[in-house]
Amino acid sequence: MSGLLLRLAFRDLRGGLSGLGWVVACLALGVAIIAAAGSLDAGLRQTLREDGQALLGGDLQLRLTYRPPTATEMAFFRGFGTVSQAVEMRAMARRLDGSAQTLVEIKAIEGPYPLYGQLLLDPQQEIAVALQKTADGWGIAVDSNLLERLGLAIGDRLSIGDASLIIRATIRAEPDRLATPMSFGPRLLMDSQALPETGLVRQGSLIRYSVLLRLAVGQTVAAFRQAVAGQFADQAWQIRDSSEVAPGLTRFLNQITLFLTMVGLTALLVGGIGVANGAGAFLESRQSTVAILKCLGASNRQILGMQALEVAVLAILGIALGLMAGALVPYVLLDAIENQLPMAARRGIFWQPLALAGAFGGLIALAFAAGPLGRAAGRPAAGLLREASIGREKNSWSVLTVILLAGLALAGLAVIGAADRRAAAQVIAFGSSALAAFAGAGTACQWLAGWASRRFSGLALPWRLALSSLHRPGSPTGRVVLSLGLGLTVLTAVLLVEANLTEEVSQHLPAQAPTFFFLDIQDGETDVFDQTVAKEGGLAVKRAAMIRGRITQIDGQPVESRRVAADAQWAVQGDRGVSMAAVQPQNTKLVAGSWWPADYQGPPLLSLDAGIARGFGLAVGQTLSLNILGRELTARIANLREVDWASLAMNFTIILSPNALAGAPLSWIATVHAPLDRETTLERAVVTALPHVSSIRVKEALDIVRQVIAGAGLVIQAAALVTLAVGGLVLAGAIAAGQRRRIRETVLLKVLGASFADLIAAVALEYALLGLFTGLLAALMGGFAGWAVLVFILKLEARLLPGPILGVVLAGGLVVTLVGLAGTSKALQAGASGVLRHPT
Amino acid sequence: MIQCVDLHLKLASSGGEVNILRGVDLLVPAGEALAVTGPSGSGKSSMMMLIAGLERPTGGSVLVAGVALGELSEDQRARFRRLNIGIIFQSFQLIPTMTALENVAIPLELARKPGAMAAARDILGRVGLAERVHHYPSQLSGGEQQRVAVARAFVARPRLLLADEPTGNLDQASGQAVIDLLFGLQREFGSTLLLITHDPVLAARCQRTLYLRDGRLDLEPGS
Repeated sequence: MSGLLLRLAFRDLRGGLSGLGWVVACLALGVAIIAAAGSLDAGLRQTLREDGQALLGGDLQLRLTYRPPTATEMAFFRGFGTVSQAVEMRAMARRLDGSAQTLVEIKAIEGPYPLYGQLLLDPQQEIAVALQKTADGWGIAVDSNLLERLGLAIGDRLSIGDASLIIRATIRAEPDRLATPMSFGPRLLMDSQALPETGLVRQGSLIRYSVLLRLAVGQTVAAFRQAVAGQFADQAWQIRDSSEVAPGLTRFLNQITLFLTMVGLTALLVGGIGVANGAGAFLESRQSTVAILKCLGASNRQILGMQALEVAVLAILGIALGLMAGALVPYVLLDAIENQLPMAARRGIFWQPLALAGAFGGLIALAFAAGPLGRAAGRPAAGLLREASIGREKNSWSVLTVILLAGLALAGLAVIGAADRRAAAQVIAFGSSALAAFAGAGTACQWLAGWASRRFSGLALPWRLALSSLHRPGSPTGRVVLSLGLGLTVLTAVLLVEANLTEEVSQHLPAQAPTFFFLDIQDGETDVFDQTVAKEGGLAVKRAAMIRGRITQIDGQPVESRRVAADAQWAVQGDRGVSMAAVQPQNTKLVAGSWWPADYQGPPLLSLDAGIARGFGLAVGQTLSLNILGRELTARIANLREVDWASLAMNFTIILSPNALAGAPLSWIATVHAPLDRETTLERAVVTALPHVSSIRVKEALDIVRQVIAGAGLVIQAAALVTLAVGGLVLAGAIAAGQRRRIRETVLLKVLGASFADLIAAVALEYALLGLFTGLLAALMGGFAGWAVLVFILKLEARLLPGPILGVVLAGGLVVTLVGLAGTSKALQAGASGVLRHPT
Repeated sequence: MIQCVDLHLKLASSGGEVNILRGVDLLVPAGEALAVTGPSGSGKSSMMMLIAGLERPTGGSVLVAGVALGELSEDQRARFRRLNIGIIFQSFQLIPTMTALENVAIPLELARKPGAMAAARDILGRVGLAERVHHYPSQLSGGEQQRVAVARAFVARPRLLLADEPTGNLDQASGQAVIDLLFGLQREFGSTLLLITHDPVLAARCQRTLYLRDGRLDLEPGS
């Protein structure tokens, strides 16, 4: 049986692809996006896995805030392997003449470093040599952009706190840089013995002490964790092993990959329409062959088998081309963007994402080709011979079942293969709804055209021709609206979200955000700080006392065993800033409970961010336990606050009643608004008066965010444009499929006296109406999707930005018109005699 | 061989139902050559399709070689057609992407008969196309294409041969050659022949002629 079907299929394909070329192109593009996204993600994750030790700085990293490890603790750690220590903090680096200063991320190292990977300096030298104390003083190694910022060179000196240090090298590669969360400034490496000379180590200063451990042979991470838990159960060590190098980066990767995969699936869905069109056009071109074969005794099963084989071969070719392109894209992309990534991503062929992309392509081909195949095979031979009008045949239940199962398998695979399954399910639900909505819209467009055709029968000829083309039986209107509409919807949503984010970060946030955050202001320095800021024209100064703490229990349950919502996970990873306040801070809104009296002295009370409370499943009256400086503190929740994080105003997830932190070594943070022309002088004045205070320029932080948004937006826009390209392919395919009919109609109209101007106007109107209708619908759907993402996922205010929306509507109309005119130009120029002599 | 009893065929169209055959009774013994003539639209081709099992009657019955075709599914009728019925069309109806050899071998391949290619080659030789077996239809003249169609119709030595205006698209010389082949092979294999034609000379070569008008059969035109 299969040998016969293969022979029949091969012979039939000699007659050309006739529409199957569109199947190949549509599948190839859609599969390529998914394969490329998956391969890029796999390469980055492989790097995180294989280079985890180098990226982390050891097999294990133990972190404490505020205090260094004790001699007992260090002796315990040394029992498991080689140990290195690092002290990390932020500080201000200044030119000796005080003319410039910048925030730096200090890492003061003790012991062998790095334990894994290579630290590369320029000029190349051992780190111990670069950092050692000589007659000139202590040496440092810095990021090269620090030299640019301060206008310094290797061999120059700079001051940090009370110390003056010599720049001996720039850092070309720091293997464990990724393990430092949230770095705002350039890196500065120094010897740990140089740190005390800076005077920066003070009680209450935000300092992170890290111990890096390279396990000895025979030791395991699990055994170490167990031993630490047993020996230091009451300590607030934050322990990470090499499998959890950068949780934030992993979360970011999950989201980007999810989004790219979903855009890719949308492209595949759109491509599926192209598959249906292409397969339908191919099968229609083979009607006479099928009729003859049936006359000669071919059964429906044999016909179906033969044609399914033909479609399958070309579908496999399309999928293979897509997989090849998808596997190669990361190589090209990484060459272009590698310098901007925080680590060197692996290049390679990753079979799992490729297999997933191939499976998606196969299921799409099955789901969209099954219908045309089933209908074609079931057509009676007599009808084909009679060339009776073939249309509106229905599929059998078995074919519908195959389509349904393929669709369910596709959705299931998309959800199971995603890192965030809930988000994937939501995107699929939205995508399916959009698919159904556009399918209905296509029918609505045809009905509207028919109604307008009847209602306005006195219209000029081009209008009547255009409207009748839109609603005639067999018109591709529905398919074009569906395929282009989905692509334009994705593009609209992406553009709207990016435009809103960019406006938020570029205009709205900077307008309301403070100019500076000042950190590590000691208790006895607040007066000097206030006076200095006031003298330099600082405005709207707000100060809050702060200490770092880690959440250890949620309503009496250890965090490790408590179910925490995905969007609240960040609050239980690492330590948080905790503040105290006697009165309710201005510009905060309580949504439950009430504030404690200003002179409250009872058991510790706590005010919690309402969003975090939802994620923790907590309510007023329940408790939260924190480890602060090694001491456990349990406080009852007195109220829940809505915190507007997007405002960048000073806010805290957790605010305690003042008595809870009585006697604790607090430091102060302050936000200051400064006039544009006073920013630099104000910062310099504060840092000069208080050299141990660090300042973060909000604009610089926003610049980093802007770059990330722009980078991510570019990638996602590119994917959305590919989706649109697939929609364009479907449009081109639909035009090509209707070419014969178009030629015949054009010739008949010419015979009856229609001018070329009439005909071209009719075609232009037809596609312009189609494009504008589709663009308008896509603008509405995409606008809604973008709004939902901004409001419910990003928790931002959504602004109606007419630019992207209008752009989509106009672009939709223009592109469809141009493609339509280009595609029908051959038909418009067809000679009458040839067609009239050979009508078939 | 052929037995039609009160055969009816109605077809749906955009203008409503059309009554094509209005109670045709027909009996054709095995081995007979029967001509069917009549004006355009009288239902000749439709009757042929019913007898070929390509269409199902809407009323009455049609039996071929004792098999009630109306009671079979489409696939069962296809399987019956493979080795029992040969069909020749006015417009040749060769598969354009297959060579002459492949076109002729198809019925035997579909029936999974061994030696299909050899049998096809043999019969193509008998119709004078031994040198053209690897040519595609587009490379053959009209007469040659119809000879391929004749070879294809006879390759399985069918019990029934149906021919619908086999010379309608041919010039006189080619048509004559095709008809001579047709009748020659029909006599040799003992097939029953039902020939639809407008040509009275062609009809005269058959043992009997029936006239179809308005969906009904008459023995003579105009009666």
